[in-house]
Amino acid sequence: MAIQSKPLPVKPTTRSVFKRRKRVAAYAFLAPALGFLTVFFFLPLVQVIYYSFTDFDLYGASWVGVSNYRNLLADPLFWMSLRKSFVYLICTPILIVLSLTLAIVVNRPLKGVAFFRAMYFMPAVISAVAIGMIFELVFAEQGLLNGVLRELGVIRRPIAFLQDPALVLPSIMGVTIWRGVGYYMVMFLAGLQAIPKERYEAASIDGANTLQQHWYITVPGVRPIIVLVGVLSSIAALRAFDEIFILTDGTGGILNSGLTAMFYLYRQAFVFNNVGYASALAVVFSLVIIVFTIVNLRLGGNDAR
Amino acid sequence: MRVKRWQVASRYTVLIVVMLVTALPFVWAMLMSVRQTSANVFGRNRPPEVFAYPGLMGWGEGADTAEDEGRYRAEDGWWTNYAPRFERALEPTPLAPYTFPATTENYYRVTQDIAIGRYFVNSLLVCLGTVLLTLLLCSLAAYPLAKMRFAGRDVLFVVILSTLVFPEQLILIPLYVTAVNTFQFQDTYHGLILPFAASGLGIFLLRQVYYSIPDELLEAARIDGATEFSIWWRILLPLIRPGLATLAIITFVSSWNNFLWPLLMLTDTELFTLPVGLAYLRGFFSGNIRNVAAGIVIATVPVIVVFMIFQKQFIEGLAGAVKG
Repeated sequence: MAIQSKPLPVKPTTRSVFKRRKRVAAYAFLAPALGFLTVFFFLPLVQVIYYSFTDFDLYGASWVGVSNYRNLLADPLFWMSLRKSFVYLICTPILIVLSLTLAIVVNRPLKGVAFFRAMYFMPAVISAVAIGMIFELVFAEQGLLNGVLRELGVIRRPIAFLQDPALVLPSIMGVTIWRGVGYYMVMFLAGLQAIPKERYEAASIDGANTLQQHWYITVPGVRPIIVLVGVLSSIAALRAFDEIFILTDGTGGILNSGLTAMFYLYRQAFVFNNVGYASALAVVFSLVIIVFTIVNLRLGGNDAR
Repeated sequence: MRVKRWQVASRYTVLIVVMLVTALPFVWAMLMSVRQTSANVFGRNRPPEVFAYPGLMGWGEGADTAEDEGRYRAEDGWWTNYAPRFERALEPTPLAPYTFPATTENYYRVTQDIAIGRYFVNSLLVCLGTVLLTLLLCSLAAYPLAKMRFAGRDVLFVVILSTLVFPEQLILIPLYVTAVNTFQFQDTYHGLILPFAASGLGIFLLRQVYYSIPDELLEAARIDGATEFSIWWRILLPLIRPGLATLAIITFVSSWNNFLWPLLMLTDTELFTLPVGLAYLRGFFSGNIRNVAAGIVIATVPVIVVFMIFQKQFIEGLAGAVKG
C-alpha cells in the first residue's frame, strides 16, 4: 500500500526497483487466471441474478421483477425437490462413519493392505455415468442384487429398485455412498497418520479397549477431516446429478421420485427452456447451500476448540 | 503388542468382504458383457450361472453361422464355437450347472455401432487440455499470492477463494447462455476446456505449496538479476512438482468424469467424450443390456488399468491435498 502513495524517487534505489518490478510482475502473473475466472465465473454470477428477474428463454428477455421468485415459492415441485435434496444429505453422515471406519481398518500394518486401499479407492476414478450404468445392471429385475437376495432366501419377488417411487432415491443414494466411501477413506487416512502412535499406547496401558481408543483418540484427532469430508460430501450430495440422470433415464424418476433440486434446475433450464425461472431456482438453492455450508463449518469449527 | 492369529484372520475377512462389495458390480458388468444368450444368470429352481467357459469366440461378421456350424472363416469374420467341446468336458463335473458359454460377440457389436475409441481420444484430449491449462494458470496466479507484496493482494485472494463458496450450479445457466450465444462453444474441444481452466481450489492449493519454499532462495535469484518469470519457471516450478502432481490428478479425475457440461455442449457424436458417449450407447442399445455391459467394460477397464499403475500417486496426491 505504502509503495503506491510514495512518489517515485528520482534515483531509484535497487530495493525500490525490485519492488516496482515485482508489483507489475504480480499483476501479470495473476492476470490470466483472473481473466478466466471473470469470464467463466464472476460474470455468470452477476448474470444469473439478472436472469432470475427476467423471463429469459435463450432468445430474449424482459424484466419481470420478483415474479419468478414468487412463482418458485408457490411451486410445490420446488419444495418437493428441495426436500429430496435434503434427504440426499443423509449420505453425508453415512459416508463419514463408513469411510472413517474403513480408514481405521486399512491403516493397520497388514500385508497387502495397499492393494485393498487401491481397490476401495477405485470407484472414485470411474465416471459416475459408467457407475450409474453398472448399477442399472445391478438393480435390474434380473440383476445382481435381486439375484443374490433371492438365492439367500431374503426375498421371493424381485424388488423394483428403480421403478418403485419409494425406492428410487434411496437406491441412487446407495450408489453415491458406494462411490464415495473409498475417496473419503483416503482423506481420513491422511488424518489418521498424523495422530501420534504414543497416544494409543498410553490409552492401551490405561486399559482402554479398541472402541474406547478410537472414540477418545481417533475421532477427536481427525475432527478437522470430519469437517472437511462433511462439507465436501454434503456439497457433492446437493449437486448430485450424473447418477440421477442415468438411473432415472434422464427423467427424474417415476412420479418425480428422483427429482432433487439440482435435477429440477436442469429440467427447468435445459429441458423446458425456462431460463429465468431456473435462474431464480439456482439463486435460492445456492443460498440454501451456502447457509448450510457456513453452519456446518461453524459447528465443526466451534467443536474443535 | 502381539496380534493374535484369529485377529489377523478377522481383519482380512473384513478387508475381503468390503472388497467384494466394491468389486462385484464391476464383475457383474463383465459377466453380463460376455453372456451369449438373453437368459438370466439367476433362475428359478437352478443354480446361478456364474462361471464362464469359452463359447462363441472370434471377431467380425459370421457369428451366427459359426453358432450353427461350429466355424466361420472368411475375409469379414473369424469365429469358432468352442461351446460343445467345453460342455462335454464339463458335463461330468458338479460344476456344470454353474457354468455358461462366454462370447466376444457383444464386444464386436459395440465397436461396430459405437465409435468408442473415438470417445476415448476425445476424453483424453479434453482432459489433457484442461490439466495443462489449469496447471499453468494456477501455478502462475498462486506465485504472487504467496511470495510477493503488492496492493490488493489480500483482496484478490479472498475474491479467488470466494469461487469455492458458490456452488457450481449457480453459474451453470449463464455459462451455458454465454457459451452458446457469445463464444459458440458448442461442438468444440476448447468449449469443454476453457470454462474449467482457472480453479480457485487449484490456486489455493499451490499457494500453500509456494509458502513452503524459503524466501532466501528467491531473494538470491533476484540479486543475481533473474526476472520474476525466470524465477518462476526455473526455480519454483521444479520445486513445487509434487503439488502440481496433486492438482493434476484432482483436475484429471474431475475432467475425465465431467458429464453435464459436455452433455449440454455436444451434439456431434464425433466429439462425444466418454461419459456422454456411454449415455448415448445406453440409449442406442437400450434393449440389449449385454451390449451395454460390453460398452461399460470397454470404457472402464483402461481407466482401472491406468489407476492400478499409478494408484500410489493417486492416493498420496489426494492425501497430500488434505494435509495441505
